[in-house]
Amino acid sequence: MNANSIHFTPRRLGLIITFSLAALAMIYLSYSLPRLLPGDFVTAMYASSPVTLSAEQEAELRAFYTQPPDFYNYLVKLVKFDWGYSYAFLTPVSALFLEALPWTLLLLGTAHIISISIGFIAGVEASWRQDSRIEKGFVGGMTLLEGIPEISTGVILLVIFALNLQWFPAAGAETAYAKVSFWAWVADVCHHLALPLATLVLAYIPGNFLLARNSMIMVIKAPFITTARAKGLPSRRIRYAHAARNALLPLVTRFGLRLAFMITGVLVVERIHSYPGLGTLLFNAIQARDLPVIQAVVLISSLMVLAIILALELVYRIIDPRIEYER
Amino acid sequence: MNADLRRYIFQDTWFLTGFSLAIVFAVTVLAGPPLVPFDPWDMSFTPISPPSAEHFLGINDGGQDIFSELIFAIRNTVTFGLVSGLVALGVGVIIGLVAGWLGGFLDMILMRLADVLLAIPAIMILILTAALFRPSPFVLSLILSGLMWPTISKAIRAQTLTLRESLHVKAAAQIGGSNWYIIRRHLMPEMFPLYLIGLAAKTRMAMFMEASLAFLGLFDPSRKSLGMMIGYAVKYYYMDIWWNWLLPPIVCLSLLIMTVTFLAISLEKVLDPRLKDALG
Repeated sequence: MNANSIHFTPRRLGLIITFSLAALAMIYLSYSLPRLLPGDFVTAMYASSPVTLSAEQEAELRAFYTQPPDFYNYLVKLVKFDWGYSYAFLTPVSALFLEALPWTLLLLGTAHIISISIGFIAGVEASWRQDSRIEKGFVGGMTLLEGIPEISTGVILLVIFALNLQWFPAAGAETAYAKVSFWAWVADVCHHLALPLATLVLAYIPGNFLLARNSMIMVIKAPFITTARAKGLPSRRIRYAHAARNALLPLVTRFGLRLAFMITGVLVVERIHSYPGLGTLLFNAIQARDLPVIQAVVLISSLMVLAIILALELVYRIIDPRIEYER
Repeated sequence: MNADLRRYIFQDTWFLTGFSLAIVFAVTVLAGPPLVPFDPWDMSFTPISPPSAEHFLGINDGGQDIFSELIFAIRNTVTFGLVSGLVALGVGVIIGLVAGWLGGFLDMILMRLADVLLAIPAIMILILTAALFRPSPFVLSLILSGLMWPTISKAIRAQTLTLRESLHVKAAAQIGGSNWYIIRRHLMPEMFPLYLIGLAAKTRMAMFMEASLAFLGLFDPSRKSLGMMIGYAVKYYYMDIWWNWLLPPIVCLSLLIMTVTFLAISLEKVLDPRLKDALG
């Protein structure tokens, strides 16, 4: 283990450098793109927006975007959370972002934890019963579910459970102005979380299930499983303690890459259920043509995704040294 | 190998379902727009009216015929998906082959670039460019393919590395075949199945992205799109319009995504030898 980590340090350093370059590229794009726009874009942007700017607000915005091109200064402001001022919401952009972030993290985090656990367990159990009718049904159902995008699931759940049955609220993350005890508040938050969460879980389960099942089926054929059976170990112990541990790896290794794509669904789901996270903030900013907010949400959330993927890359290289040779 | 492939693939229920759906959509996309009963941009009908004999799916809030809108929307979504998928495939195959065959420093640079692009959420770049520049859908699909090629390249590169060691490729190099000759005559044709998997997967991703971007209102509002139709209809979901206005684009979008998902999954199952017995 120790020898390994010394041996692979240059590679790990390479990863960190690559990801830092990617982050820098994203920051540079967000810094330079507005400057590439032809003409007076502040007027053009806000002309088609429902927000009316006073003369000095417009001048301030123009000053924000036409300040002398100084990338270093931009970086410093970025680190200091000075991301500009939103005239659509009349609040600093960083305050808007930090207000929305916890809700998105709550939604996305719970959705991933639930869908990975269910998908993984279902995948392990299904592969153990390979070629049985239950397994075939499961695989069929999951393949079908994989074909239904978040937009569709979200809207269908909204119409059924919020509109027709009225079991769950159709919008928001908590009941406004309700002064209630802590536990009542938690219950309220969960109640609001249910629909967007269910949408995301339904969208994420099939991928996890199919991945877990496919890698389990390959692991099951390995000689050490035969050995475990020959030793007379109970079936559940073989399944989870021996096989599933190895089958879990592809789920972890692919998580980072899938995350970059799955962000798309979160934006849409938050908008459908009017959940006050980053997706809804971004949507409102797009509607109001509120450029500083769009820029900040796009940039900061991309940087966060990059950081998560890098962290995962570094961690699973420690968990499984074989990865080095597979690439 | 190809005859074998055809025999296997046409026995697969998922492939057959996907294939039949693809034919239905192909006919809709090609023959639909000239045959629609009304101009989808004609806003002269009574807004929000229920379906009638004339308007199969009724009229939306802008006074437009929903059925005609739907047909044009399907065409736009499919076109966006296929253009992005095909361009991503082209770029991915070329980069994968070059990186795998030539190797060395170029290989390292290209694969590092691929790693970086894989980690950047494509939707964020699309939102930023769409919000700032309001580019045409074609430009957006090109940007998207510029971000989607890495997975294809990695698969092609890995396969190239395996093929490098095979006898016939070694023989071709031995008789003095140029790099381009070997890539074109020996490497490219042999990886044909991989192209199909890549194309289906990337088209799926692109259609999904298109629907999401349109839903968030980042395309030109006059451009018909399934995502945009859902976006408008959802604002009125509490009215009794969900079954004639909201449901059709949702069903069509799901069927479209299902088509490519089924094709991608069944192709992968049949063509990837490692998965052959994994997927029942």
